[in-house]
Amino acid sequence: MSWRTIDRRTVPLDDLDPGLSAAVKEKIRSFFPRYPTRRAVLLPALHIAQDALGYISLRAMREIAELLEIPPSAVLDVVAFYTHFWTHPRGRKTIVLCRSLTCELMGGGRVREALEQRLGIGEHETTPDGQWSYMTEECLAACEHAPCLLIDEKLHKAVQVEDLDRILVDAENDRLDLPRSTLFDAPQET
Amino acid sequence: MPKIIIDGQTVECRSGIPVLQAALEAGLAVPHYCYHPGLSVVASCRLCLMEMKMRDPKTGQMDWAPKLFPSCQTPVRDGLEVRFCSDPVRDNQQHVMEYYLLNHPLDCPVCDKAGECYLQDYTEASGPATSRMVEDKTKNPKKDIGPHTLLYQDRCVLCSRCVRFCDEITGSGELAVVGRGSRCEIDVLPGQPLQNPLQGNVVDLCPVGALLDKDFLFKQRVWLLRSARSVSPADSRGQTIWIDYNEAGIHRIRPRYNEKVNEWWITDEARFGWKHVHRRDRLRQPRIRQGTALQPARWEELPALLRTWFSQPSPTVPNPIAAILSPMLTCEEAWLLAKFARSLAPQATLVLGHVPTVGQDQTYPKGFTIKAEKCPNRRGVETILQHLGGPTASFQEFLGQAVEGRFRAAYVTGGYPNAWVMDPIATALAKIPFLVVHDLFPSALDAVAAVQIPGSAWAEREGTFMNCDGLLQPFERALPPLEGVKADGQFFSELLGQPGLFRARTVRETMAAELPQFSEVFIPRDLPKHAH
Amino acid sequence: MPFERVLMRHVGVPNSTSLAVYKADDGYAGAARALKMTPDDLVEFVKKANLRGRGGAGFPAGVKWTFLPKDRTVTYLCVNADESEPPTFCNRVLIDSDPHMLLEGVLIAAYATRTTVAYIYMRGEFCAQFHILQRALDEAYAAGYFGRNILGSGYSLECYIHRGAGAYVCGEETGLIESLEGKRGWPRIKPPFPAIEGLFRKPTVVNNVETLACLPHILTRGVDWWLSIGTANSKGPKMYCISGPVNRPGCYEAPLGLSCRELIYGADFGGGMCDGKKVKAVFPGGLSMGALRGDMFPKPPDGKVDPRQDHDELDCILDFDDVRKYDLLGLGTAAAVVIPEDADLRDTLLNVTRFYSQESCGQCTQCREGTAWMQKIAERIRAGAGRPVDLDIIVEATRNMGMMPGLSICGLPDGAAWPIRTLIQKFRREFEQRIAAQAPGAAESLIRRTNAAAYELPVLHGRAVQPVGGTYATPVDVAPPP
Ligand SMILES: Cc1cc2nc3c(=O)[nH]c(=O)nc-3n(C[C@H](O)[C@H](O)[C@H](O)COP(=O)(O)O)c2cc1C
Ligand code: SF4
Ligand code: SF4
Ligand code: FES
Ligand code: FES
Repeated sequence: MSWRTIDRRTVPLDDLDPGLSAAVKEKIRSFFPRYPTRRAVLLPALHIAQDALGYISLRAMREIAELLEIPPSAVLDVVAFYTHFWTHPRGRKTIVLCRSLTCELMGGGRVREALEQRLGIGEHETTPDGQWSYMTEECLAACEHAPCLLIDEKLHKAVQVEDLDRILVDAENDRLDLPRSTLFDAPQET
Repeated sequence: MPKIIIDGQTVECRSGIPVLQAALEAGLAVPHYCYHPGLSVVASCRLCLMEMKMRDPKTGQMDWAPKLFPSCQTPVRDGLEVRFCSDPVRDNQQHVMEYYLLNHPLDCPVCDKAGECYLQDYTEASGPATSRMVEDKTKNPKKDIGPHTLLYQDRCVLCSRCVRFCDEITGSGELAVVGRGSRCEIDVLPGQPLQNPLQGNVVDLCPVGALLDKDFLFKQRVWLLRSARSVSPADSRGQTIWIDYNEAGIHRIRPRYNEKVNEWWITDEARFGWKHVHRRDRLRQPRIRQGTALQPARWEELPALLRTWFSQPSPTVPNPIAAILSPMLTCEEAWLLAKFARSLAPQATLVLGHVPTVGQDQTYPKGFTIKAEKCPNRRGVETILQHLGGPTASFQEFLGQAVEGRFRAAYVTGGYPNAWVMDPIATALAKIPFLVVHDLFPSALDAVAAVQIPGSAWAEREGTFMNCDGLLQPFERALPPLEGVKADGQFFSELLGQPGLFRARTVRETMAAELPQFSEVFIPRDLPKHAH
Repeated sequence: MPFERVLMRHVGVPNSTSLAVYKADDGYAGAARALKMTPDDLVEFVKKANLRGRGGAGFPAGVKWTFLPKDRTVTYLCVNADESEPPTFCNRVLIDSDPHMLLEGVLIAAYATRTTVAYIYMRGEFCAQFHILQRALDEAYAAGYFGRNILGSGYSLECYIHRGAGAYVCGEETGLIESLEGKRGWPRIKPPFPAIEGLFRKPTVVNNVETLACLPHILTRGVDWWLSIGTANSKGPKMYCISGPVNRPGCYEAPLGLSCRELIYGADFGGGMCDGKKVKAVFPGGLSMGALRGDMFPKPPDGKVDPRQDHDELDCILDFDDVRKYDLLGLGTAAAVVIPEDADLRDTLLNVTRFYSQESCGQCTQCREGTAWMQKIAERIRAGAGRPVDLDIIVEATRNMGMMPGLSICGLPDGAAWPIRTLIQKFRREFEQRIAAQAPGAAESLIRRTNAAAYELPVLHGRAVQPVGGTYATPVDVAPPP
């Protein structure tokens, strides 16, 4: 047993935490008519908030809770259940590496080691220059292209250790070459 | 009433309840964690599984189905046949118990819950003493999640009762399950701790020692405690409670199940509202004014003195005697005191004492109510006053008359846990030449009282309270009165010249002869162990 | 008659995601036909086709729809596009190439079930697929296939895409429903089943992407065409996935009833193993369905199936029935991953146990604790510190979890138990050899280092657990301290 007790009562100094802009809140509200309850908008709201802030700050959790009229802890509950949401700041781009069976058989483990070494970070960490964050995830449903990884939205197929250099320096490595829908994106601030 | 067959025995049960509840009420010790009759059913601990007879689709015969069913999720219906005494059921219980022990720290020697922990009890009854896991256990830190509560995450069995309580009963939803799978933890959003005024219940709810009461932390081992059936004086709802006490005094208060009032829960006011019993400045000795100071007196001197004063007619005012019956008194005490006053001065004014209120009644989603009226027996005193008839006055009227100097002698009872003698009260009472103050603590009245009598706290008395809905509920004495103090009821019967020991029950019987309302009291049934 | 691909007919066709290309190929003709029928007739029609769910359980879609209460006013349709079962990707391929086929299927199923709002629950990692499907949906709305008064039939339907956020268990239908409602994806206890009380406590149907994509074809080509494809109880075409070290990993459409060997070696399918290696093991239906032995092992002399013998099991027919003869849980998603002869099964065991322990939602004790325990043991075995008894403990643990014996709320632990148990039982010899080849005393020294108490606590000497009902027959092989 640990003798440390974590204080959950004091409000953390999160005044510096980013909150949601009026435009983001408006966008979240635009999802209300889609569902009979407000709570059901939670996942879309979190997607939009994460796109706006890069992660879900404590402040954002409280603001979303207020918008959806649910207790703030319910937002934390959901954020922590799903692996997609980060509760600390991320780099500009996030690499999601598949760690499931096919990818591992096809050399995913080596790619993982090489990647961690190249970036010098472990899972859920961010490079000091703020460029990259990295995490692993179970099967990305692209096993015919194993081993594969996602950089933000773009899937990189059959990635071998040698390919990493090329992929990481490519400016377009996170860009999809198809028309995007902005439905779950944060609104463009003017 | 449906009849079901559990392990070959026919059990008659209430309709609409789950089989688990029926089994528990029938006295069977079925292990379970997540089920609580006051909360929604999630059937997630998988410890209460049973075998059930179903019609075999092939043969058309009723036979034991080849799988297990959660008894907490299966409603009773007539003729249902289930069993818990079978190998598959026991196998499952043992496996689940082993799973619970995989990461449990087994720190019972320093755990407050030891002795009343479901994990201990079930392990003793049906499980292995430890698990076969040889890897290191998952270690989690403690968390300070509320003003009254600590969370020892290591010990949590993730039954989610506490989370459901905050979602369903209080509707405040402070607790969350954070994480997924074996990394699940109970937590609050940092900076948003437990805030609701029923939060103490999560500690009772927790089947293990994960949620602990800071107030009780490391204070006592539960097997050194005795429990008295009591009724909380914290508000007018008459929440039934257990007072857990021993020679050293009260250590904690727990809810006592009461289907008519508070069900499984109590308010934090009721839970933590016993501290005044052990305040250092309690009055401990009767005192009589001699000159300007109150001097210690003997209890034996008091009855004669009081009788003299209360029976002397006044040459100037018609009815110079008043008795102020505090809503903190039990019905029996109020009755005796009223009788005493009227026996000496048949036209004595009887007054219902100060009724403290705070804010508004608060009602929670499932109907649990916290009353604004913070005293247990206003309704009981009112009933008695109404019955006795004759001159009565409200407390405000009485104060008004007192200021005018209408009273020569008054018997004022207090007994409130908090200071109640505000300036207007003190000024008015100062006008009464012979003022008897029967209270727990020193107050502004010390300066004006002719006689000061130390009261005893509710935990040191026995009797009945009538709650705001007219329900009459008796309670037991947990502690003896402080040394040198006479219990209120005992003193009142001595005033009346009744010999022998005060027994609330005997008094109630004589009351009932005049007032049929007092012939029946309500005592909720005690629940079997682990049936909450 | 050669088999004609229908579900994958547009794979590789340029612009196949556009409405124009889809319409040119009889697109939305099935829906038009369906809208002319009454919903009840349509349900009967689909029932006749015996369209069994492609999401894993294989429950006939038409029958599922009849469970909806007759007097309902609100019905929801949830499309399960949460494809997260390793190594499955057929739904992804389908959406990538033919999103309108799914949308047409949604329209047909929604009409049959009198749904007013359909939600497509799509896993969060599907990014390109989301944009493709959303664009197709916008097109379909513009063309009047969704929205008010569809094709003048008087029927109205709203359809929204809901993006998940990375949780396997949200593919379980009630987990999906909870997740859609904005809660953590803890599956619900059943009954009540979703058909009675599902999304927002209203009658709800949950169907897989591929199941729905079959509907337009059944409507345009008829039930007889459908029933002419496949084996006795498994009708229609199926998208089979094959991945791992094969020459042509990918998704291939074939009539239900493809053999596992054909899937790996067929020239139209996997195209054989890379570098001519032999197959050690294959998980033929997604991980959760369990493992088969590969052709590294001898063929059964008489062709008889006996899962207890060390025989090549690749002749297993991948339909809803034959798989059970090989001690598999079911057809699952018909997505195979091949483990080559030179792989170390300790890695496989660790990967599989880790998957389930990461993805268990954490409600049920057996699933939450059991999967995590198995992962810890697998990690130790992988680290070269296994004990023979660990294998027994894992097998015992797999036997006391799962929905089949009623021990858990959802099917995830069944899906965990099957691959892990079959892996250990069918390949026990390899595990035993690897453990025997460890450095002497490795297990004890590692255990002492991580958890000294396992050796120091007196309670663990001798029998740590009570041998009741044979449950704890496995002795604890902890030696007393020297
Ligand atoms: C743990 C678990 C995960 C599942 N994941 C998926 C999934 O990702 N996609 C899917 O279509 N069905 C999944 N299912 C099956 C669904 O529960 C359900 O059977 C299916 O969506 C029904 O659709 P169908 O009748 O069209 O097959 C999963 C089931 C379980 C128990
Ligand atoms: S803290 Fe206690 S009540 Fe809450 S989930 Fe854990 S064991 Fe249950
Ligand atoms: S079986 Fe596992 S995944 Fe399913 S509900 Fe229970 S804990 Fe969650
Ligand atoms: S295993 Fe990596 S994408 Fe499926
Ligand atoms: S599963 Fe029935 S009490 Fe927990």
